[in-house]
Amino acid sequence: MMRSLLTVLLALVLLTPAAAADPLGKVLDAENKAKGVTRAALPVINDLSYLRRVTLDLVGRIPTVEEIGQFEALPATSRREKTVERLLADQRLADRWTIFFADMLRLRSNAEGGGASIAFIHRALRDRMPWDEMARRMISASGKAGATPELGFILGDNADPMALAGAAAQVFMGVRVACAQCHDHPFDVWTRKDFYGLAAFFGKTRRVQSQFTNTVYTTEAAQTSVLWPPEGVGEEGTARKPMVPLFPFGLDKGDRPTRPVARLQALRKRQATLAATAAGRKQANSDAGLEALLAAAGSKANSRSAGKKQDTLDVAGEAKRDARKLKVAQARYRASKLRVELARQITDPRNRLFAQSFVNRLWGELMGRGIVEPVDNFAESNPASHPGTLDFLADEFIASGYDIRTILRLVVNSRPYRRQHAIAVADSERIELESAFLATPMRRMLSEVLFDSIVAAGHLFDVKHEKGKNLKVVWQRARIAKKPTGDQSPAVEPRPLAATGKPAAKMKKPAKLTAGSPYDVENAIELDFDALLSESKEEVRIDRMKVMSKEEIEAMRMEQEAAQRRPDVKFFDRFIRTTFDDNPRFTSSMRTASPAAPEHFLRIFGQPSRVTLDEKRDFTPSMRQALMLLNGRLTHEASRVGELEPVYPLLAGKVPDVPAAVRLVYREILTRLPTSSELTEATELIKSSETPLGGMADLRWAMLNSNEFRFLP
Amino acid sequence: MAMACNDYKLTRRRMIGATGASILGMSVEQLLAAQGTSHLPTAEHMILFWNGGGMTHLDTWDPKPGRPTQGEFEPIETSAPGVQISEIFPQLAKQMHHCAVVRSIAGTQGAHGQATYNLQTSYRQAQNLRHPGFGSVVVHERERMGDLPSYISISGRAPRAHYLGQKCEAYFVANPGDRDPYLAFPEGIGQVRGNKRLDVLAKFNRRFNGRSGDKKLASNQTAVKEAVKLMRSPALAAFELDKVPTTTLNRYGDTAFGRGAVLAKRLVETGVRFVQINRGGFDTHSNNFPAMRNHGTVMDPALASLIEDLAKSGLLKKTLVVMLSEFGRTPRINGNAGRDHWPNVFSGFIAGGGVKGGQFVGSSDKDGMQPDKRPVPVADLHASFCHAMGIDPDREVQTPLGRPMKLVDGGKPVIELFG
Repeated sequence: MMRSLLTVLLALVLLTPAAAADPLGKVLDAENKAKGVTRAALPVINDLSYLRRVTLDLVGRIPTVEEIGQFEALPATSRREKTVERLLADQRLADRWTIFFADMLRLRSNAEGGGASIAFIHRALRDRMPWDEMARRMISASGKAGATPELGFILGDNADPMALAGAAAQVFMGVRVACAQCHDHPFDVWTRKDFYGLAAFFGKTRRVQSQFTNTVYTTEAAQTSVLWPPEGVGEEGTARKPMVPLFPFGLDKGDRPTRPVARLQALRKRQATLAATAAGRKQANSDAGLEALLAAAGSKANSRSAGKKQDTLDVAGEAKRDARKLKVAQARYRASKLRVELARQITDPRNRLFAQSFVNRLWGELMGRGIVEPVDNFAESNPASHPGTLDFLADEFIASGYDIRTILRLVVNSRPYRRQHAIAVADSERIELESAFLATPMRRMLSEVLFDSIVAAGHLFDVKHEKGKNLKVVWQRARIAKKPTGDQSPAVEPRPLAATGKPAAKMKKPAKLTAGSPYDVENAIELDFDALLSESKEEVRIDRMKVMSKEEIEAMRMEQEAAQRRPDVKFFDRFIRTTFDDNPRFTSSMRTASPAAPEHFLRIFGQPSRVTLDEKRDFTPSMRQALMLLNGRLTHEASRVGELEPVYPLLAGKVPDVPAAVRLVYREILTRLPTSSELTEATELIKSSETPLGGMADLRWAMLNSNEFRFLP
Repeated sequence: MAMACNDYKLTRRRMIGATGASILGMSVEQLLAAQGTSHLPTAEHMILFWNGGGMTHLDTWDPKPGRPTQGEFEPIETSAPGVQISEIFPQLAKQMHHCAVVRSIAGTQGAHGQATYNLQTSYRQAQNLRHPGFGSVVVHERERMGDLPSYISISGRAPRAHYLGQKCEAYFVANPGDRDPYLAFPEGIGQVRGNKRLDVLAKFNRRFNGRSGDKKLASNQTAVKEAVKLMRSPALAAFELDKVPTTTLNRYGDTAFGRGAVLAKRLVETGVRFVQINRGGFDTHSNNFPAMRNHGTVMDPALASLIEDLAKSGLLKKTLVVMLSEFGRTPRINGNAGRDHWPNVFSGFIAGGGVKGGQFVGSSDKDGMQPDKRPVPVADLHASFCHAMGIDPDREVQTPLGRPMKLVDGGKPVIELFG
């Protein structure tokens, strides 16, 4: 399967020599011409700016010095396209674009089944699962939270039919029908009945929480909960009847002149043949779920046969057990026929909105502005600025088998994407240029991208100080209890505070860098996506996990508080000294639990809470952001120079070369060389500092805080 | 989303500021009359004590002596004739002539999440929309005073600003007295070096921004300027509780709650508009009485000292002090000597900011089961706070989807509170 997909993709690449053609740019230019746009397009950005822009967009961090070197070593005529191919194959692509999907689908790690759903998206992106298949799986998913990783979308809205109708239309088709839940849409064609017709597809789905295990799963009831007319409408005493599911969006009658549907069908046929050949066995007419399980069992056998325990294998038995489990599960979690049907209609290649809304979102993410803007508001009152370009992208998307990388490639290889920002022009002119895609708008890095870029710029993905070079002493105050009066021996051997050499009151506030520090809001703790998915196969694990009820937690807390106030117990403070090697490493913010806590770096810089449908990433700056970058631990640690960093020998080696050091950090942090005046100033700054390492830290701190760093080139 | 916090044109306060002026043909008096009162708003600040878990009304503000639901506490007389509260508040009793209690809040939500949401936002929780907390509403409507952030939440999270935008989010203080490391240069970077860094940064940005008039660039600099201004502001001293005399700290009780109250007072003195102090432990399904006695020893000195100090300095007139919880607790005492959730009727404490002290508003029935006189729906509380602060509760703001939302979910001010 993988190999066949790769073959197809390779064929596609060879068939579209983007460099020579830029079909997308051509369509857009023609459309602008037809619209009577007279302004000239801005020139394209230079090579290194392009490298920075496209690396940030596709893999979510600034390019490393090694990547800059590789880029420059490529022939000038093809280095951009070759770099795009490298990035499209980079495993970080899935990390970065998981954020895009998790925002769109409002997936939350802390919601029921949310973590598994994020892992599902990540794997789907890694394995190049087509978007229509992803969508079908998520819309039609039934089963247990976690065990069915696609279930996050349905459970995110507590399987509420009204909420899901609004979400499905907005997420998968860019249409805001949620208003029509309570009244006919004020600015659009959607009626309340349309909304109820859509909601009826979700009407039999129920969210169930097991009383014994707290496990959450979905099932299908016999009766729908969506009734017409809505409550309070119609004459009193009117019987409310089950609403008939009705898909309110029109499908294209035939294929378009560019024949996307026919091309898709041909592609899928080829893929199926290739897959069948590769599998070396013909498609059985049996249960698809069973088929998949047997295939999985086969791969288990393969992997195990590579090990030592060949004799103990019981592949067939295992497959049978798995199959039994599946049958039991299917009976309990009854799949939704209605949602399978809805998923089929939404992802029908003749449903233009499905493809259009998705390519528009991708375009908006990369270009800073959708062809329909806001990207999730396809409406008669809000027409596309360039409908031809939108259709071209949608057609190519369908014909590629809804391949996400195909659209990413098309856009980042196009001239519109490569254009400069409009500066030194009046606001009105700039907006005109940007809305015609003749200039690219200034874009801030996503919060996750900013975080990872600072980590990359400061070499913090790896340890950068030598062992023992950053020993820090931490004093922490501990409250210690003496045993009740009568018993003279203290519960813990007390040590007078004076023994520390200083009276407690004058002691420097301990530098808290350990667990529970105020800097926790800049930490990123990596989740293991594979574990999240593999755990989902364990049917029983969550069942057995006893969850403490709120009351229990509360009781425990109160008990503790009461214990602290027991009159017969005396307390005294003691300062405890700990020494640790402060040599921090940071992991990628893209694999952490998301959304982060409200005060976390990622949230402060705009990560949404992924709760409400109308919430967008917030790109506005705030004082809190500034404080975090000016004074935070991340920028501070990224600025400090470590002995293991490449720049270190240039500053503290036997033969220091400050200008070379400056040139290096400009490339590392800003992906360019300094101008001659910048070089002079920076060299001067470093030489006039108390130590060259300190001066370099100051320079890097300023770079990381600068607008040039935070905005895409 | 880039909605500024003070982007309104005409607020009632500004109209009133221009005394005698007539706007849209309506005089100030007419506007007030339209709200059913002639009382002028006096509150500039609000301190909200949020008691998470659902605080029992019967063992605090609404004792039922002689009834089977009374429990272990006796009511005590207070400085306000005829006003009795639970014995767990002996010091506060001496300040009750400044304070009012609403005894007839008629809640509708019996689960912690939904009830907290309702009490903190005035709205019922909806599936696809989140409403801002009341602190965000206040700082959306009232201009910032002084250097400190307008909205500060202590010892726990206040609700989020949602569609009111990032500028209306709370600034968070985890533990009163702790220094926020983000308000000073990182460890090891002194003032001189820090300032030098800022100069280098300014140079970088000047060069990069060049001739660009793009507001996105300029707004980043504004944020940096604001941050630096705050870092250098003498107002930051308000956060430093080690400067407060020990006698004062002890008077408030040497607890996190007491220090929170001291901090709230200092913040309000510096101009902060809205301070929320969070505390939990009120979900007393078992052993209600020892727990509430314990809560009394924590809350009583803090609350009493705060009211006393604010009254002495004259700031009480301008500061609304409110204590709320998501619901009350069952009049019936359960098998574990506890009380369970009871939203049907419960009490709220409110003082200052123009509120007439020494009174009760409304009442519950003889066992504290249902509202008796003057039931007060939850949104009426928020409308009353708005009234005290000169905010129009019916003003509409737009969500990002373009849906108009009122600042408060249709409440009417409880006029009796204001005398």
